[in-house]
Amino acid sequence: MFLPIIFVLLLVGGAILAAQSSINGRLGANTGVIESAWLTFVMGALLTFLLMFFFEPVQEATLFSVPKWQLTGALFGVVYMLAIVFAVPRVGTAAATVAVISGQLLMSLLIDHFGWFDNAQRPLDVSRYIAMALLIGAIGLIYLSHQQRQRRLVSQPSECTEAAVDPKP
Amino acid sequence: MQHALILLGVLIAGMGLSVEAGLLGPLGEQVGHLSATLSIFLVGGLLLSLALVFSPNPKVATLFRQPRWLLTGGLLGPFYVIVLTLATPIVGVGMTMVGILCGQVAASLALDHFGWLGSECRGVDSYRVLALVMILAALWLM
Repeated sequence: MFLPIIFVLLLVGGAILAAQSSINGRLGANTGVIESAWLTFVMGALLTFLLMFFFEPVQEATLFSVPKWQLTGALFGVVYMLAIVFAVPRVGTAAATVAVISGQLLMSLLIDHFGWFDNAQRPLDVSRYIAMALLIGAIGLIYLSHQQRQRRLVSQPSECTEAAVDPKP
Repeated sequence: MQHALILLGVLIAGMGLSVEAGLLGPLGEQVGHLSATLSIFLVGGLLLSLALVFSPNPKVATLFRQPRWLLTGGLLGPFYVIVLTLATPIVGVGMTMVGILCGQVAASLALDHFGWLGSECRGVDSYRVLALVMILAALWLM
């Protein structure tokens, strides 16, 4: 009975991420990538601290008692941001977006298959292979869509600006 | 050749995003979902503060000359990370990532179509509609 709620949460989460990319792309273009990323993370920390302070039920384990490797998640987010900042001007948004999504989906399926980092194992089966084929097709279409947008921007440079770099937590 | 190397780097960086989600799920189960989310923003925020102090030409003041709604991106980020920590233990990292991607593509279509949040002058493009349909089918299969 949890499943439908989780689905809705995931879709809303993705939609919120798209809204954030749009806002931060604009902000980054006006101020600077480090500045906008800094604001994003600091405001996120303030908000989650307040939420945690008042609403988190007491747990046996704390952030200070778990093994340190479990706390390294943030580093991957920061490395991702730097990689995007470096790559987008050199290879374009279309190729960079496709590379990010491919890496993300590939790794997520590997983590599920092998159960890495204490995750439950969810082995690759026939339906997951078919899903993979569909996702590869979708990634190809996303690439074509970006390219088409790029061409339109070049042929008629109007007031619409390609969103610059979106720092993602 | 150089292009291929850069793209390989970006691909590995994208893999990192799934590693982040894979670490967050079990962490949230142990210390609580909000604490796990805080760890991400706290560590990232502190590292970026250091980077900002030592960056050649920091322009923090320009942030506060922007219209206020442009500064709200930071309030949206936590929601996404909380969803990651909640969802991964229940449905796995793969389905979490596909679900997020689905919401992202759908929302970017809507943002473009209605010109919300300053992204204007694009019609609905058929490539992305078709991509969305394929992602939905993949989500259903997983």
